Amino acid sequence: MMAFRSAFTPLLTSAFPTRTTSGTLSLSTFANSLTEHCTQTVRQNVSLLDLCKLPPASAYVHLPFCRKRCHYCDFPIIALGSSSDHHHDDPRISSYVETLCREIMATNSTPSSCPPLQTVFLGGGTPSLVPPRLVSSVLDALSSKFGVCGNAEISMEMDPGTFNAAAMKELMGLGVNRVSLGVQSFQDELLKCCGRAHGVDEIFEAVEIVKSCGVENWSLDLISSLPHQTPAMWEESLHLTIQAQPTHVSVYDLQVEQDTKFGFLYTPGEFPLPSENQSAELYKMASRMLSNAGYEHYEISSYGKTGYRCRHNTTYWKNKPFYAFGLGSASYIGGVRFSRPRRLREYTNYVQALENGVADHTQSEGIVEPKDLAMDVVMLSLRTADGLDLKSFREAFGDSILLSIFEAYRPYLESGLVICLDEQRRNVAADEVMSNEKLAYLRLSDPDGFLLSNELISVAFAVICP
Amino acid sequence: MPSLYRASKSLKSHRIPFNLFHINPNFRRLDSTAYLNPIFGWTQCAFFASQFREDPSIDLNQFPSDRIRNFSIIAHVDHGKSTLADRLLELTATIRKGHGQPQYLDKLQVERERGITVKAQTATMFHTHKYLGTDTKFLLNLIDTPGHVDFSYEVSRSLAACQGVLLVVDAAQGVQAQTVANFYLAFEANLTVIPVINKIDQPTADPDRVKEQLKSIFDLDPNEALLTSAKTGLGLEQVLPAVIERIPHPPGNSSSPLRMLLLDSYYDEYKGVICHVAVVDGTLRKGDKISSAATGQSYEVLDVGIMHPELTQTGVLLTGQVGYVVSGMRSTKEARVGDTLYQTKSIVEPLPGFKPVKHMVFSGLYPADGSDFEALSNAIERLTCNDASVSVTKESSSALGLGFRCGFLGLLHMDVFHQRLEQEHGAHVISTVPTVPYIFEYSDDSKVHVQNPAMLPSNPKNRVTACWEPTVIATIIFPSEYVGAIITLCSERRGEQLEYSFIDSQRALMKYRLPLREIVVDFYNELKSLTSGYASFDYEEAEYQASDLVKLDILLNAQPVDAMATIVHRSKAQRVGRELVDKLKKFIDRQMFEITIQAALGSKIIARETVSAMRKNVLAKCYGGDVTRKKKLLEKQKEGKKRMKRVGSVDIPQEAFHELLKGS
Repeated sequence: MMAFRSAFTPLLTSAFPTRTTSGTLSLSTFANSLTEHCTQTVRQNVSLLDLCKLPPASAYVHLPFCRKRCHYCDFPIIALGSSSDHHHDDPRISSYVETLCREIMATNSTPSSCPPLQTVFLGGGTPSLVPPRLVSSVLDALSSKFGVCGNAEISMEMDPGTFNAAAMKELMGLGVNRVSLGVQSFQDELLKCCGRAHGVDEIFEAVEIVKSCGVENWSLDLISSLPHQTPAMWEESLHLTIQAQPTHVSVYDLQVEQDTKFGFLYTPGEFPLPSENQSAELYKMASRMLSNAGYEHYEISSYGKTGYRCRHNTTYWKNKPFYAFGLGSASYIGGVRFSRPRRLREYTNYVQALENGVADHTQSEGIVEPKDLAMDVVMLSLRTADGLDLKSFREAFGDSILLSIFEAYRPYLESGLVICLDEQRRNVAADEVMSNEKLAYLRLSDPDGFLLSNELISVAFAVICP
Repeated sequence: MPSLYRASKSLKSHRIPFNLFHINPNFRRLDSTAYLNPIFGWTQCAFFASQFREDPSIDLNQFPSDRIRNFSIIAHVDHGKSTLADRLLELTATIRKGHGQPQYLDKLQVERERGITVKAQTATMFHTHKYLGTDTKFLLNLIDTPGHVDFSYEVSRSLAACQGVLLVVDAAQGVQAQTVANFYLAFEANLTVIPVINKIDQPTADPDRVKEQLKSIFDLDPNEALLTSAKTGLGLEQVLPAVIERIPHPPGNSSSPLRMLLLDSYYDEYKGVICHVAVVDGTLRKGDKISSAATGQSYEVLDVGIMHPELTQTGVLLTGQVGYVVSGMRSTKEARVGDTLYQTKSIVEPLPGFKPVKHMVFSGLYPADGSDFEALSNAIERLTCNDASVSVTKESSSALGLGFRCGFLGLLHMDVFHQRLEQEHGAHVISTVPTVPYIFEYSDDSKVHVQNPAMLPSNPKNRVTACWEPTVIATIIFPSEYVGAIITLCSERRGEQLEYSFIDSQRALMKYRLPLREIVVDFYNELKSLTSGYASFDYEEAEYQASDLVKLDILLNAQPVDAMATIVHRSKAQRVGRELVDKLKKFIDRQMFEITIQAALGSKIIARETVSAMRKNVLAKCYGGDVTRKKKLLEKQKEGKKRMKRVGSVDIPQEAFHELLKGS
């Protein structure tokens, strides 16, 4: 422990001599400068303690409609029924979107302190089931309430079989410039087993539409460790994904949730689900194949070509604040995380209360416990390849916690599950960690450290909050 | 019908609410308070006990020693001892029929749950009997005793105050191992034995066979046996007359200076230490100054009385009487059982003391959560106030932190102590594998008494020249068809047969010398399953024997786990090592690195298993920025780790320690 302390001292004294300047800046100073410049540069010097209290520049919008519920899904969704393929005039959708827009408009914000949005994420559900004119009203509401930067990233989740080229074009016209395509798997039998409402043919059609319409930035989303999924199937899915040349790939590891069909049918680690080892192999295969194809594994489940990381999700990993609107969605404003009701009726009541000014969670000045914040920062940053920024963490939470985390991680630094990086992001050998003065980042290794992220992060939790 | 001690009447009287505890209407008003009082069992009892009763109708002066009988009931477990005691208390109107809870004298929760008696209890009864032609009122002291051999210490101290015993035998089951052991305790103490063949209402009762056994094993006159059913009341009217006529009155001399025997003590939070005493000679009065022969300390008698069955003030105890004394002692440590108390300034010959406590089994007790050390320490201190037979010393373990090494009279005693710690004091404990006290001798003539295997060096500097282990003489009684199985079991346990006889046409009796270690963990269970529960078993301690003993270490990633070290016979080391390693493999979860589990004798590895490294967690995404769920999951994971015990970097779940206790 003493060795650690002395090794860190030079770093400490030289790293942040001007702590007070950044620490004492008032919120309004920030807000003003932000509105004027609409830039992130000022923010990069903000202490982690204050970052979450800035006005959000990102918004998540939940569009919960699906044709039917997939067998692994426990999100707050509204199944429309697969009988009608055209939902353009479904009153359930238009009524929901109206409520959603009311929520956006009723959100408490002072225009002067509110920067325009940098990222918008339309998630679901299946947002592509919402007619473009209704998507338009949502974006209009956001724009009139907060403003949207000209270069904002506007992502939309779309499912194969739910949109055509015309709709795609129309959405692009509205400003949607990033598509997240819910492919999940390239095997019909697996899609069927998951209860997906589309087949492989529709996947290829959808990829074709996205590409032909000129969507430059798009993600192809896959799920690994599905029941009955073989390594050969997974390899095929990854091959076809690479062939489709998306700029981004998300690979989600199946999580069997209680109260889902999979939850009733299957036990993790038992047939037909892959064993822990098999599942780890699938994860490693994805990491290897996608990395070889030029995708950077920048977060546990995310791969992107250079310059194509998802800016919206990056907000989460950096523990920055964000708005959220819609059924069951979770916002992070003023250091407070708030989840909206998951049932439509309660959500509608919530919006009503918000309009009446009696349900304003978003602006409540919750007392943020530094320990909670530190856990959030560790949990989120260690999901990424960037890892934990030691300087800003130390500045916000102090030296001793960091030293204790290093102490707790010592065996894993030695075994390579955890890696230290210097300013130039070069690996620092485990035996040099204690004496190296230029440590700048701490990250989990890819893929072994990422695979054990829960364990490793909970080790850090035990240090922060014993 | 299993007849081992563990085969208790455990289901009989589960969790009886407090308001049934005391039947005297005077105490009724306290019931609501009692309900709110979260302390169970004895403490509860002591709380009531502090509300002393006065009964002006009792004049002890009416009872010179020839009108007094002190007796005890001894029996094998479940032969009806406590029920018989209840009936006698009812018969003499000491308690009201149907109003007391069953087994009145078994006051501890653990006693009720297990259907055993752990603490000796005393009750004074009055009974009128036609004696030498006239109706005469007698004072009878019933001293209830624990049945199990672990508590023979308690039995012997109870018997020291008696002149006779009722030897209760189940009419269907006949003489069992504890019947034999308890008979000999009474016989050695020179007491009058009145055989009572109980439960004669059972369809399978065979009193004649039991009479034959009494004759052949104990040389008791079959015609003297009383036939009773404590359940139906059949034959009970003969019991007290037999007690009065056959048992001699206490022999003391009322004109000699006061001498009394300290039988037992417990701590009452209002009155301080309450001592149970038997006045052997002379008279004890409130206000007397008394001294202890053992400590030399003097006290003033603040209160004196009888247990009727609640503490009832009488202001005096005469020669031969049994009662309680409150004398301002601060701790039960001052009240040494077996001590002689006498009038200060008089000169008396101390009474022969009791058998001193001898600890047969040792085990480490640690708080399940390391931070609870203070709580455990308090709980143990309070419990030992009422159970002075446990030895307690602090120890520490690298795996389990700070804890205590406790010495017990036997396994049941250890179990009961654990149970009382948890039930009466809310303590959560991890206990280490029980060990017996060994003696190791080294080439430099040094000698080590080992109560904790971890303390024994794994690679000693000096050569071990001799090892000694305690043995017991075990008595096993069982249906004769199991002879083969029992012989096999005992020879596997390194037993030496000493006796083999038949107590009647169907039942055999065997005596074995067995190393204590071999019966410490799972011998009872094994015996029970081999004989479908028909064997009964008891043991008495015997001398040490030379033995080839070795220390068996358990290593996790090459680090010895001190709390798992054990001492075994060399011939058993391989098997025990293998079992421990296999068990641990089952209970240690995969971690982020490979874990090697080894059993070692010194530097020689005799068993090895590996737990392969964990490969992957469930990598749930933080969908839509909803990190709260993920965080909760990780916090839960963190809490799980916190409950683990850590050796080196290996986390060991508490269950692993509990599991190791179960047989090795």
